[in-house]
Amino acid sequence: MSARTLLVLLLAAGAAAIAAAQFDFLKQAVDKLKTGNTPAPTQQQSDTVSAVGQIFKGAAGIGPKEEHDIGDSVALEIVGKYGGLVRDAAALHRVNVIGRTLARYSDRPELNWRFGVLNSESVNAFSAPDGWVFITHGLYSLARNDDALAGILGHEIAHVTGRHALKIVEGTTFMSGLAGLAAARSSDVRAVDSQLQQFDLGIGKIASSILEKGYSPETEYEADRNGRHLAQITGYAPGGLRGVLTYLQQHGGDSKATFSTHPPLRDRLKRLPDEPAPKI
Amino acid sequence: MKARKPPTLRLALLLGLLGASTTLALDAGGFGYTKSVETIIRTEPRALAPAVGRLGYHKKVKIDQSKGLWLRVSDGPLSGWVFSGSLSDTMPPEVKGTDGLPLNASQTTASAAPRPLTPEAEAYASRRNLGFARNDLNWLQSQCRGLNPAEVENYLQTQKKGEYQ
Repeated sequence: MSARTLLVLLLAAGAAAIAAAQFDFLKQAVDKLKTGNTPAPTQQQSDTVSAVGQIFKGAAGIGPKEEHDIGDSVALEIVGKYGGLVRDAAALHRVNVIGRTLARYSDRPELNWRFGVLNSESVNAFSAPDGWVFITHGLYSLARNDDALAGILGHEIAHVTGRHALKIVEGTTFMSGLAGLAAARSSDVRAVDSQLQQFDLGIGKIASSILEKGYSPETEYEADRNGRHLAQITGYAPGGLRGVLTYLQQHGGDSKATFSTHPPLRDRLKRLPDEPAPKI
Repeated sequence: MKARKPPTLRLALLLGLLGASTTLALDAGGFGYTKSVETIIRTEPRALAPAVGRLGYHKKVKIDQSKGLWLRVSDGPLSGWVFSGSLSDTMPPEVKGTDGLPLNASQTTASAAPRPLTPEAEAYASRRNLGFARNDLNWLQSQCRGLNPAEVENYLQTQKKGEYQ
């Protein structure tokens, strides 16, 4: 057997192992969904949780109720940190019409999508679970054409449909039965306090990832790729996001006030197709 | 002249592709999944063509043909055209209601309407002194309630977006 053939076979075996691992992972995820199997809770947690008939949930088990609670709370943190919302009816109408047009063809068209403009002149955009999307006034002012705005909003919609924020708390226990507990055992002050503390810590963890550290570069590139595809299939120029990033790069945009929670502009541009970009 | 790749290399590339991605492209011969409460199947590949049927959430359909951004799909005896943006190439959550989906189309309006912040989020705002952010979000919700879905539909038609391209 030649060295080349041996190398090829090793590559094939590696690929097959990856595929098998993926299928195993998928199988485990499906089993987990079917059985609700999750890490065993401690005695105290078990007592608290069983009292309201809840089980611990990872991202795969976060249902609509939990996503509403998390999404609303993270949205509060975003709006709180970025100076509130701009109450400009025309801007709000524009971002919501274009945002909802995109969301209609996203992987989660039935979410309650809401788009707002943050009262900040920095250049950035954020999203929170359950369909909250925000763009700073500084970035909105640059997105004068609809293709550019669609590129920006498409990226944020991709974060929501990819459940990127929810994955931050995957496997954690902070959502365990909060709502039911608060209602059913409001007299048990210590237990309620503990649950509220867990909830606040979980929201803080997500907010810190979104507003300070940012998602991993790979997650951002995925959102760039999927957001571009969404804009394209909806009928916007696929180079809309590229146009914005290029403009920012040409105008010295790699500063702290520009997409500070995202990978460097040059790295994002390198991974986007080299295609015509609408003029900013 | 192009050098032919040896069979072992082809096999390795094929396995590599299988290992790298488990997603399926929306193309003829493959499958797609509905992702809305109601997906309309039409007689022709255009937005205003008559409907031949409607599919609910999480339906797997076979893709028989593609034409531009439209796909000819079949689900048992039902066959017709659907805009490709209305299908997903990955299976949506299996359990109905995972996205808060209503069980049928008639419940859509009530379900999708912007709602007030949840009591848990309201309490969170109080604990974190985020009263002004809460007021802003409630204002945003009220503004979003005022946006009629017909306006979005009208935008799609006049700007030739989505299935109106």
